[in-house]
Amino acid sequence: MADEITTLISQFGVSQETVIVFAVLAVVIVGAIVVIIASRPVLEIYPYLNPITRVRARKGRLFDEKQLSEIAESSNIDEITNYLRGFPDYANHLDDYPLEKALDIQLAETYDLISKLAPEDIQDAFQILAKKSDINNIKSLLAAKKMGMNQDDTYNLLIPAGRLFSEIEQLADANTVTDVVAGLDNTEYSSVLEGALPEYEESKMILPLESALDKYYLENLLKSSGVPSDENSQILYSYIGDQVDVANLKLIIRSKADGLSFDELSPYMIKDGYQLREWKLKDLMESEDVAGVISSLEGTDYASILGDSLSKYNEDGSISVFEKALDEYLIENAKSLSMRKPLGIGPILGYLSQKEREIKNLKIIIRVKREVNFPISEIKEMLV
Amino acid sequence: MAVEIALGTALAAIGAGVAVGFAGLGSGLGQGIAAAGSVGAVAEDKSMFAQGIIFAALEETQAIYGFLVAILLLVFSGLLGGGAGLPTTVGLVAIGAGAAIGFAGLGSGMGQGVTAASSVGAVVEDKSMFAQGIIFSALPETQAIYGFLIAILLMVFGGILG
Repeated sequence: MADEITTLISQFGVSQETVIVFAVLAVVIVGAIVVIIASRPVLEIYPYLNPITRVRARKGRLFDEKQLSEIAESSNIDEITNYLRGFPDYANHLDDYPLEKALDIQLAETYDLISKLAPEDIQDAFQILAKKSDINNIKSLLAAKKMGMNQDDTYNLLIPAGRLFSEIEQLADANTVTDVVAGLDNTEYSSVLEGALPEYEESKMILPLESALDKYYLENLLKSSGVPSDENSQILYSYIGDQVDVANLKLIIRSKADGLSFDELSPYMIKDGYQLREWKLKDLMESEDVAGVISSLEGTDYASILGDSLSKYNEDGSISVFEKALDEYLIENAKSLSMRKPLGIGPILGYLSQKEREIKNLKIIIRVKREVNFPISEIKEMLV
Repeated sequence: MAVEIALGTALAAIGAGVAVGFAGLGSGLGQGIAAAGSVGAVAEDKSMFAQGIIFAALEETQAIYGFLVAILLLVFSGLLGGGAGLPTTVGLVAIGAGAAIGFAGLGSGMGQGVTAASSVGAVVEDKSMFAQGIIFSALPETQAIYGFLIAILLMVFGGILG
């Protein structure tokens, strides 16, 4: 064989040394190209590998349909508490806090964990999501002071989680809503709340303050996902965009059910959404009633999602059917997004939405169990 | 004292370097990928240590194939243990043998690492997925085996072995 190769080389009329130099160069060039091409996908997925297995481990500990059904069939709240004590994620807080508060802490810890685990390129959005705990605590504080609650009762409303908890708990002894706003002057929420304060002073309702916080949170969330540059950030943008759209839609539907006009609703809206862009939102806000909103949604995914619930709304007049349909859409959408990038952001979004769903369902069960003799079949229908 | 090395032997040395270098690179990257996933799994569930080690160890084989081919090239080219040097043309065959296992090991190792990391994620979520995970993770091994076989055939029929 060696002789055949020698003959072959001589047929091309080049010296052996030239062939050797070319052979070595070819190996080096091919090797370099292969390494560069092969490294690219590895560099892209590498930061996600550790977070993915960590969230998948936690996803494996979420309740399945059978376990959720067992919880729904519990005879009372104590039985649910004892059931949850068997699961370390929940058991940690059940000794120190009431059941619903323990669930809120667990959810806040989940947001916090994801914000720490998430790779750098998508971390900003999860850090904004983790601020939900602070915003909920500020809302509780405002509501408590509006109702004139004392320090202890106010403190009991707060969820001991979030980055601003130490500042927020110190405001439990504030006397008025204005004092709370003044006490938060060294936080990022200061200008947001101060901007809405004149409206509160005029209406004496905390709704403008709450809406200003929600608007600030959602606008920052949308901004944090930035211009999608790769598939991971495209999926994240879609996930966050849907959340913003759903928040906008819920607000519009609720306002139209209460008969609010465009001008009354407009200040609380997020100017631009994902599927529902500025002009579409304007259309929706100008609708006369809830049915008008649903028909204006024609051409978007939301038309079919909410169209099915319209007849039920017409029967009982409760907008909760729309809210449930939108929540289910968010969960289903997150589920389908989580399948798109199994070695990227997918499992992270999948776990987060499934955890939110679990906590939401547990809260529904707990709320219903406080009522006597509520049929179990109806509880299961209420679950998302 | 300067050592006289035949040109063919020097080419075989390049072949040995390519064999263990690229196969080791693929194996290392693959093992790093699988180990990163396994560490995440163990951080959440200590009982995952044994399974994590198994998935992270799978990518070791590509480096072993490359190492074996490199040792064979070094021994039979006369670089280790003396003996006559190789003719130049046989040295070129040695580069081919090294490239065969080197590049096949690179692709196989990386592919296996990605699959193993995914499998660790599946197992930590659902323990019953272990057998399926191992089967899927073993699939990319075949490319390294093809590369290893071709390297051996080149060495045998190119006049390096025997």
